[in-house]
Amino acid sequence: MSTNGALPVVPPVRGKDQVGKDETGDGEGSLQVHMDVPEETQGAMILAIYGKGGIGKSTTSSNLSAALALKGKRVLQVGCDPKHDSTFTLTRTMIPTVIDTLAEVDFHAEELRPEDFVHEGYAGVMCVETGGPPAGTGCGGYVVGQTVKLLKQHHLLEDTDVVIFDVLGDVVCGGFAAPLQHAERAFIVTANDFDSIFAMNRIVAAIKAKSKNYKVRVGGVIANRSNATDQVDRFTSRVGLDTLQVVPDLDVIRRSRLSKCTLFEMEGDSPELEAARNAYLALADAVLAKPGGQDVSPLGDAEIFNLLGFD
Amino acid sequence: MELTIWTYEGPPHVGAMRVATGMKDLHYVLHAPQGDTYADLLFTMIERRDHRPPVTYTTFQAQDLGGDTAGLVKEATQAAYERFRPQALLVGASCTAELIQDDPGNLAGSLGLPVPVIPLELPAYQRKENWGASETFYQIVRTLCLPHAPPPTWRRPPPEGRRPVCNLLGPTALGFRHRDDIREVSSLLDRMGVDVGVVAPLGASPADVARLGEADFNVVLYPEVGRTAASWLKRTFKQPMVETVPIGVGATRDFVREVAGVAGLDADGALEAVTTRLPWYSRSVDSNYLTDKRVFVFGDATHAVAAARVASEEMGFKVVGLGAYNREFAREVRAAARKLGVEPLITDDYLEVEEAIQEAAPELVLGTQMERHIAKRLGTFCAVISAPVHVEDFPARYSPQMGPEGANVLFDTWVHPLMMGLEEHLLGMFQDDFEFGNDRSPSHLAAARPSSTNGRAAEAPPESEDLGKEGATVAASTPAAPDGAAPEAGEARATSTSAPTPAGTELVWDDEAQAELRKIPFFVRKKARRNTEAFARQQGLTEISVETLYEAKAHFGSR
Repeated sequence: MSTNGALPVVPPVRGKDQVGKDETGDGEGSLQVHMDVPEETQGAMILAIYGKGGIGKSTTSSNLSAALALKGKRVLQVGCDPKHDSTFTLTRTMIPTVIDTLAEVDFHAEELRPEDFVHEGYAGVMCVETGGPPAGTGCGGYVVGQTVKLLKQHHLLEDTDVVIFDVLGDVVCGGFAAPLQHAERAFIVTANDFDSIFAMNRIVAAIKAKSKNYKVRVGGVIANRSNATDQVDRFTSRVGLDTLQVVPDLDVIRRSRLSKCTLFEMEGDSPELEAARNAYLALADAVLAKPGGQDVSPLGDAEIFNLLGFD
Repeated sequence: MELTIWTYEGPPHVGAMRVATGMKDLHYVLHAPQGDTYADLLFTMIERRDHRPPVTYTTFQAQDLGGDTAGLVKEATQAAYERFRPQALLVGASCTAELIQDDPGNLAGSLGLPVPVIPLELPAYQRKENWGASETFYQIVRTLCLPHAPPPTWRRPPPEGRRPVCNLLGPTALGFRHRDDIREVSSLLDRMGVDVGVVAPLGASPADVARLGEADFNVVLYPEVGRTAASWLKRTFKQPMVETVPIGVGATRDFVREVAGVAGLDADGALEAVTTRLPWYSRSVDSNYLTDKRVFVFGDATHAVAAARVASEEMGFKVVGLGAYNREFAREVRAAARKLGVEPLITDDYLEVEEAIQEAAPELVLGTQMERHIAKRLGTFCAVISAPVHVEDFPARYSPQMGPEGANVLFDTWVHPLMMGLEEHLLGMFQDDFEFGNDRSPSHLAAARPSSTNGRAAEAPPESEDLGKEGATVAASTPAAPDGAAPEAGEARATSTSAPTPAGTELVWDDEAQAELRKIPFFVRKKARRNTEAFARQQGLTEISVETLYEAKAHFGSR
């Protein structure tokens, strides 16, 4: 496999390797934090998991990563949350974040080696936690950009099949949107309730905005902790989204987090556990089939209230 | 990025050139303006190679920038392929061309040439030469070896019924003693019962690189260039990597043990392959006369760390400073410095290095060509242990740094300057002996003897004195003045005493002042002389006494 074949479509502007200052128009002596123009990423399928805070993105991401790894894929999961516990159930430990590691070398990124910030978890899933700036300061997008740059410079995206960005839920800022510049598909985790569907609508809007300049598209919806999906279905059929997988509200999923592991490492073989595992294995298949991809338009606020708000 | 007049490392495309130039049947198309072609000279002048680097420059000019520079890349690539018919092509941009963002790798890839086209993306404003070499070698290895990669579940069988085979990874063109190291390490491995499969990049063709995966393990001779590729080969081809760099006796023995472990050989038996003259030195009566000499070490991390170990553990020197210019390997330097109890110096600013050397006041500097210059300025002795290199680092004789013979070379190279230092010291000690007086002739033969008392007057003007030629040596190296010449010189001086402040006038140091001047450490003596004479001229003096010397000191000291 030589690298001179067809390459993924890259955005026309590619200032990625210049230090920001010269080309960003900040002016002499001024340096603003800018969004990194994405590194051109080859080979790996890059996915981002979005959703309202607390909806279960990390649980979904970790179990999806584990399921993909068990299907023979080389998986890299990147937790993009200052809480840095996205990969906790894969590694069973709080791994040091990229920002912590960078701080140790006084932000001389060239001193870092992959083993400093990539930690192997269950089933060989490679785990990275970007960490984040102190609350209320800095920019999460910068952190994501630095992490992607590191992953690329250390060739970690070349020998990987699937990269999953587990994005922070509660903050809407550059950090929220940064993974969309690198991902080809964004998946939205929701539950069958108004708040999380309202958040989903906003995420759809963000993806639509980004897709003007980047290759990112909505991949589909994952209905989490949902025994019924009537509300979700009403929204998705209205805007034209597909629900890839419904993960029922099973107590074994909550217990797996408490025992610090993914469902696949849980002891026992109850039918409940089996069902939960199968849900994620099915989700892995659905993701690998490269679902979605069409342009999806969000609803206006009034529309979504009318659709779901006053039942 | 900062502007500087000198750097330890060039931009990353120079690293790519070092890889390409070291290899055979590979060609590098470099999108670069005309000025960037100067880099060819590094290889032809410094390394004295028998051919120019296999690099085609697109050499765009200012007027091309308004037109189609991208087209230029395609034309140059096509033409280079047709002319040189390489087995593979590297395509990338120099630091200058990176700014115009033509993406030469993709452009060249779209030509559909029948050989692998390896695009290089070397961020010139973030990374440097060693990284560029490492990245280039990695991309070559990955592109050429991936088609031969085994499935991920494959396990490498141990070598049975045959000699184990290893590759040597990392040597490049323009490397510090790489060609001799390869020979030395290969012969050491051979004595151990290990064969060398491929040496790369230096001397390898793309076809050779493609069969790297066939060896049982890899030896990373130069981690700065070879480690990224070696760790990919480890992951992909399950080849263990030997990471000890065999510089010095101790490290060579560690290397042999590591190789024996990886190759499944008996380590004790293998150690017999290491024969060294270290015991000869250790047992010599005078073996401790250089003990605790103060040594400052700076270079690329691998060579610096190795040199610090040899200096402290094998020569008995005291390491008073340790540093490296390449941040990628800063952690090894920090660890070594911690062990030696010195503050690690990680910088690519040679002025900072000079300051640190001044501060540490070493008796010997082990460094790069830049430290050689620094040491010269400071009047300290120096031996070169690392790139960046100069012509003299490509000696005609066999002169490795690695393996048993490398250890011998290190001993000679480092100890000789210190012996010169001892001579210097002896000269200082005995310079007042009657036998070495300045009025003595350079020879004991009567015929060469100068006409008695005016010997001193015939002494060369102070400007001509050089380091190490103070005192007795000055007298000794001054050609004996023919009869008659000396009195003339004396007369000339006598007439000049009636002076205001004429610029060309020769100043006379009286005996006492001369003696006082010699007490000043030799590396600042020249400056003291210059300052004192400047002061004397300013004061309208023609003779310098001890008082003048101290007045001058006070004058310059108070400013």
